[in-house]
Amino acid sequence: MIIQAHGLRKTFTTRSRKGVQTVEAVRGVDLDVEKGEIFGVLGPNGAGKTTTIRMLATLITPDAGTAVIAGHDLLKEPAAVRRRLGYVSQAGGVEDTVNARAQIMMAARIHGVADPGRATAEVLDRFGLTELADRPGRTLSGGQKRRVAIAIGLVHGPPLLFLDEPTTGLDPQNRANLWDRIRQLRESGTSVLLSTHYLDEADALCDRLMIVDHGLVVAEGTPADLKREVSGDVITLRTDQPGRAADTVKALARETRVDDDLLRVYVDDGEHALPGLLRALEEQGVALTSIALDRSTLDDVFLAKTGRTLRDAGAAA
Amino acid sequence: MIRHTVLFTGYELRKQFANPIWPLFGIMQPVLYLLMYAPLLRTMTPGGTTVDALRMFTPAAMMMIAVFGALFSGFGLIAELRDGTLERYAVSPAWRPAIVLGRVAKDMLVLVLQAVLVLVVAMAMGVRIGAVELVLVLLLMAATGLFASGLSQGLALTVRDENGMSQTLNLFMLPIMLLAGMFLPISFAPGWMQFLAPLNPLYHAVEAGRALFGGRLSDPSIPIAFAVFLGLAVLTTIWSMRSLRKIAG
Repeated sequence: MIIQAHGLRKTFTTRSRKGVQTVEAVRGVDLDVEKGEIFGVLGPNGAGKTTTIRMLATLITPDAGTAVIAGHDLLKEPAAVRRRLGYVSQAGGVEDTVNARAQIMMAARIHGVADPGRATAEVLDRFGLTELADRPGRTLSGGQKRRVAIAIGLVHGPPLLFLDEPTTGLDPQNRANLWDRIRQLRESGTSVLLSTHYLDEADALCDRLMIVDHGLVVAEGTPADLKREVSGDVITLRTDQPGRAADTVKALARETRVDDDLLRVYVDDGEHALPGLLRALEEQGVALTSIALDRSTLDDVFLAKTGRTLRDAGAAA
Repeated sequence: MIRHTVLFTGYELRKQFANPIWPLFGIMQPVLYLLMYAPLLRTMTPGGTTVDALRMFTPAAMMMIAVFGALFSGFGLIAELRDGTLERYAVSPAWRPAIVLGRVAKDMLVLVLQAVLVLVVAMAMGVRIGAVELVLVLLLMAATGLFASGLSQGLALTVRDENGMSQTLNLFMLPIMLLAGMFLPISFAPGWMQFLAPLNPLYHAVEAGRALFGGRLSDPSIPIAFAVFLGLAVLTTIWSMRSLRKIAG
């Protein structure tokens, strides 16, 4: 176990003209990450992902809770935790005016790496940055900058790497490229804790993940288990009478969910359930505008656990 | 601890000189002041020669670069606050004060370099200064720079916004300059300004600088200036290190 955290809580107090406001960012989070695992924290903006990661990274002191990270107590030995950690923040921490090589080298020196020159060359090569090593940060593209940020975080060879929203703002190609590189970390034995609000990212990258909402863990498991828990497939129907349609198909489904004129029907086997479902609706005289059959996603898991879709939750935050 | 401070000093110095054109511009400013302002001041100086004017103005120009060069160095921290670099240092094993001390040390080294250049120009224009006085002037300037740099880093970490920072600096700049008698001797000023001037720390630095350039080593303004600035420098440096702690937790 590389991270064992229990009961983490953090409340922020802000003073403004409107008076004192308190925000309970994290309200009791337990988290266990195995050695060598890629563990995801999935949730909408404002769910408490970044606060959780910042607490585990020794940046914020938790109000309550305990954690042992890479064998050291978070609260009693923060310095020892920092030595074993690679940390890539949401902002990245790549300076505009300094070239990649100098920034990576500096990080290696701060960590007291025995041969900072060699360690820098190695990590530059590993992230395909050798050609770009001497260009200042501002001339790099978003994807290149992210790679530099991760290279800085890895130059001292930490057993554990934190990635806070590593692909936010990247185009699909760069995201896919970064995913491959993060997967390669698993092969080198580095454990990864990453936060994301992208469902596909959590699904594609993580060995295990937890879904957080409003500072609480709402679900935890492997992506496959979580989806299986909800159901195999989702049939999405658009109709003028969603309520009546829901009553009609209730007996055939594991769960139904109405959202405006949309009816989501969760079934184990969509292909075989569909004909019977359509027949039942026909008999009750429910007219359909459209119909779609999909494999259930982590969004369906989120919907089942919180009553909102991740997209709605993100827009509201 | 010392290793990390040296490390950060070196990193900041390399950053500063990565593009040598900007430090060069920074050095040009006081030199231009000497070349263009000293002749202007000549008609008002007792004695009336350019050398007399320079003896008045060179120490003021040196303290000016010390204060205003270093006061602006905090802007770098705001950028690093935003791009996540400071956050990254905070999660590293870096000795926290070194992050700020490295910058302050860099500012002082750059200042001494600039001061030497100003002195060379002043000497070329006919000003003479003894060796002891020279060393004391440089030390005084370094102390002034230490104070201003610490203040700037602390201000940057507190204000955390370039716009707010530049407005704050601009607000204080003019009164501090005029009340130090940098451009015009404070003896020209009305009574209330003469009363306020000693409350301005920079006034003491300029007075001591003038005493040193005048060869008056026993002038009481010299120990006063050193006491004021070493005290203030300790305070602002501690403040800036504390401000960093707020961010790093």
